[in-house]
Amino acid sequence: MKVVRKPIDVSAIFYQEGVIVPIKFRIQKSDESWVVVKVDRVIAKELEKLAGNKMWVFTCESTIGDMQRLYQLKYELDTCQWMLFKI
Amino acid sequence: MKKNTKRIIFHIDVNSAFLSWEAVYRLQQGETLDLRTIPSVVGGDPKSRRGIVLAKSIPAKHYKIQTGETLYAALEKCPHLKIVSPSYGLYVRCSNAMVEILKEYSPIVQRFSADECFLDYTGMEPHFGEPEAAARRIKNHIYRELGFTVNIGISTNKLLAKMASDFKKPDQVHTLFPWEIPKKMWPLPVEELFMVGRATVPKLHKMRIFTIGDLANYDPVHIRHRLKSHGIMIWQYANGIEDSAVRGGNAIEMKGIGNSTTIAFDVEDRKTAHKILLSLTETVAMRLRDAGYCCRLVAISIKNSDFYTYSHQRKLLAATDATGRIYQTVREIFDEVWQGEKIRHLGVRVSDFCSNEFFQHSLFDEADLEKTRALDQTIDRIRLKYGTKSVMRASFLYSDIKPLSGGVGQDDFPPMSSIL
Repeated sequence: MKVVRKPIDVSAIFYQEGVIVPIKFRIQKSDESWVVVKVDRVIAKELEKLAGNKMWVFTCESTIGDMQRLYQLKYELDTCQWMLFKI
Repeated sequence: MKKNTKRIIFHIDVNSAFLSWEAVYRLQQGETLDLRTIPSVVGGDPKSRRGIVLAKSIPAKHYKIQTGETLYAALEKCPHLKIVSPSYGLYVRCSNAMVEILKEYSPIVQRFSADECFLDYTGMEPHFGEPEAAARRIKNHIYRELGFTVNIGISTNKLLAKMASDFKKPDQVHTLFPWEIPKKMWPLPVEELFMVGRATVPKLHKMRIFTIGDLANYDPVHIRHRLKSHGIMIWQYANGIEDSAVRGGNAIEMKGIGNSTTIAFDVEDRKTAHKILLSLTETVAMRLRDAGYCCRLVAISIKNSDFYTYSHQRKLLAATDATGRIYQTVREIFDEVWQGEKIRHLGVRVSDFCSNEFFQHSLFDEADLEKTRALDQTIDRIRLKYGTKSVMRASFLYSDIKPLSGGVGQDDFPPMSSIL
């Protein structure tokens, strides 16, 4: 996985228990068209507190094109922003 | 249970605090370059020419860049130096997160400054083991969770713990127990001792005191004669004598409130200088009212373009917390001392406090004192609710001078202190 840190739009479920599960996200390509990716599986999630800044890190897996890809999404609690961190 | 009479104090000190916090935050945001691995500094903004080095990376240290020097001087030593502007909000958050972790290990944590804490470990051995092991655990916990390294000093009082955390950096645990003083602390040059500063060092050198050991073994009577009570204090420090408690809060009674600003251009005319003084007075008076005090002494300081600094102060006839009254005095004393040369830096300071609840009115007070106070209070409340720029004096319109100046914009930013 390589760091890309691109901002993304995300659909996620925020469960009553306080658990966040990303469902799908879309990302803008360089030609300004959108690509929608469905999150097939969340493999791991971890609360990162680096520099006191809380971020949920989701390691997920999806079929993109016809390839199985592993990637990381990050959700920043302070700003409510998501990014595609690594792919 | 074993009776524990000896205190165990930790001093936790973040290694190049502002710089590591900035670096960790950037890494978290996906930056691949670690500021800690290249010559870099945190401080100021090179464009507006104001700014000094607040923190430096270890590679920057190899270029002999020093904390506190101007960015200009730093760039001369290392032209490819990376400069990042400080973001105090981030530092407060890092500092808070660290205190949160420390509180898991002891209920008594004193935040000494943004990047330094004291922790009272006395009696905690049954929970987290021997002090050294616990300190290592805390250090690793902070690194694992928050991503930055700290030094921890261990001893039986705050002074020795603080001296110990300064030994070798980064990411280390050091002890400095009283029996280790002659070996670990006495060989150090005397300027390394807490509270021995620029003014004291030449005096000590004249007395042929060059190391902390020289000071410790000097005759205290003689030192008191030369350096008064401060001399006795540093003599005690040199002998490891210090017994202040680790205070949960860091609340020390305030003695003065002041703000100052370095101006982006040289001020040459009285009118502009007055405006800058007014903008500083606005901030100072707001803080004064917020603290619930009235002041009886007003002072200003001026630094001219030759870096020569001078100041002037005046005792007020009656205590006040009104922006207008303070500003009036500020203007008067400024006019009295200013020689008409170019000004680079201005400061306003108030002190000699009394409570603002009950205070003596003066016969010569303005008749509408109560009205003025109500006005000030209302303006404060509006600014608190809608931001500092919501109400401003018309004189600042089209003037390029900020209606309020001074301060880091973060009230809860823990200040540096010389009191342990």
